[in-house]
Amino acid sequence: MFSSLQNPRQAAAQLMNFGLILSTAFMMWKGLSVITDSPSPIVVVLSGSMEPAFQRGDLLVLWNRNLYSETNVGEIVVYNVKDKDIPIVHRVVRKFGIGPDAKLLTKGDNNLSDDTELYARGQDYLVRKDIIGSVVGFIPFVGYVTIMLSEHPWLKTAMLGIMGLVVVLQRE
Amino acid sequence: MASTQEKITVYNLADLKNTSDDAIPNYLNSLKFSQSHRLTDVRLALGYAAFVVAGACFLWDYKLGFESTKYYTAAAVALYTLLNGALTLWIFYVEKGAVYEGTAPDADRTTIRITTATPSATEELRNTVLTRPFTEWFDGAGHFVAAPFQAMLASSIPVVGRLDPKRVAAAATETSSFESKYSAEILQALENAESAAEVISTATSVDAAATTTGTPAKKGGKRRKA
Amino acid sequence: MYSSIVRAQNSFGFFTTVVFVVASLIAVSDLLTPRAPAVGTLKTTNVQVVRGRPHYYSSKKEEYAVIKFSLDADLSSLFTWNTKQVFVYVTAEWPATPAVTGTPSNTTLNQAVIWDTIITAPSADHLANIGPAALKKLQKSAAGKSIDPSRGKLSIKNQRPKYQITHPSGKIAETDNVVLKLHYNVQPWVGLLTWNQDVDIGLWKQLKGGLSKKFSLPAIKKKADAKV
Repeated sequence: MFSSLQNPRQAAAQLMNFGLILSTAFMMWKGLSVITDSPSPIVVVLSGSMEPAFQRGDLLVLWNRNLYSETNVGEIVVYNVKDKDIPIVHRVVRKFGIGPDAKLLTKGDNNLSDDTELYARGQDYLVRKDIIGSVVGFIPFVGYVTIMLSEHPWLKTAMLGIMGLVVVLQRE
Repeated sequence: MASTQEKITVYNLADLKNTSDDAIPNYLNSLKFSQSHRLTDVRLALGYAAFVVAGACFLWDYKLGFESTKYYTAAAVALYTLLNGALTLWIFYVEKGAVYEGTAPDADRTTIRITTATPSATEELRNTVLTRPFTEWFDGAGHFVAAPFQAMLASSIPVVGRLDPKRVAAAATETSSFESKYSAEILQALENAESAAEVISTATSVDAAATTTGTPAKKGGKRRKA
Repeated sequence: MYSSIVRAQNSFGFFTTVVFVVASLIAVSDLLTPRAPAVGTLKTTNVQVVRGRPHYYSSKKEEYAVIKFSLDADLSSLFTWNTKQVFVYVTAEWPATPAVTGTPSNTTLNQAVIWDTIITAPSADHLANIGPAALKKLQKSAAGKSIDPSRGKLSIKNQRPKYQITHPSGKIAETDNVVLKLHYNVQPWVGLLTWNQDVDIGLWKQLKGGLSKKFSLPAIKKKADAKV
């Protein structure tokens, strides 16, 4: 197994194979980003505020282009609030005006009140640019892996290490 | 022949092939062939260029965010797709599984290229094609045995044969003598893997077709019964 | 297939491929199921505008429209084996007053949900956020059925709105050309989320009806009656 590492070209080729696996995964993600025009085209549901539609660990596919119509009431959007790290996925329940300055109000299906409390201080409505995408596709449960990984960080290190070893030591 | 003592799993086709492939440059370079690394170098250049593009894209995305860099990102994705596509085409249509390319130290400066097929594919190429079972140069425990392997190469590729005549002479007798060491099961396992051991040599300036010693694949089966 | 790790890798790889293919087939099967949602009636029964505060600690007073309505709709064809829930919502929509902007009046400028409900498919009843008694009743209604034919049939009379709506300006009284509109959003177990559509797409028919007559919001009701 290790003998192949004695030849510099073969070592370079094996390292390249490992690098290409990582970079291809990254570029596919970026490609999806470019197509959907969303910085994060696939998100994992972290809270139960949209239950029963979305549960923790479900995977959502986002679309952030307005090709045929504007983002409208009833769409489920993922938005960022200034100074808050975690994006929120809730449904648009009110919209006043049209265009990029239209005022949007969101609410979680499972929440009693709307999201005014979640917005930044002094912010009563969202505008289009706060939104990073509307939910168009749904894949259940698959994202639970990432919840596990973020709750148990050592798993992440272990997984990356094992993957790296397997790829470096294995030809073909 | 540093890899002679290394032991591999006889059930792993990739290992069988890789060990055999690694033995080819060792042998030919010892005969003073000058190896050309053109194919590997182009592959490495394409691969690392793609990797650098992805790395740069990662950096600006990490530092500056998506929104302000998305047109550069789109360009990077397109460029990456092109480079990766070129790499794939290069591997499939130019390298075609080549494991050795080199020039013989004789007066003609004959260049040879040896390609080995992947275990499942059997592709007929223009010149010398021969199919041999792995059993000829691996023993039952998975040790690579250099002599019969080199004899096989020397007797099949005329340029190599001219440079190493004693292996050609040995080729006729060598194989049958150590064959008896195999147990029946190992032979069966290797028999299944037989189609993999396809060594194809493409001699560019030699009339290789005249010297083809393509042994039919069935031969191994007959020997096993004996 | 020469070591346990390789076998495990291959088996897991094959497993994920099979799961992915089956999930895709299920998602595509949605397109093969006809949908013919229809709304019988959607009309307002009582419309008021009251003054109130956006929340308890606010000193700001705003106008709120309280729109009671009746609804008859049959959305049962939206329930298939891949339906997790249908989110049904009624919006009030009205154009901006010409004085505000010069935009064409046929473009809806203001939309607000006044009422919504989640109708779970029998396969998702256990996820519904309702009391234990209601849950028992719901599960009993569909016992032994994977698709309950009564799900999605709505018949509600003189329903109080869940949300009293206002406008960012705080003024909503005496607004003209308001319509109520029924929408739905089908949430699948796997696949694409879909909404009511304005044109037929394959086997999916557009929502029939679903629009109320235009009405006007009245002037503010007297203070004595106001409660928010």
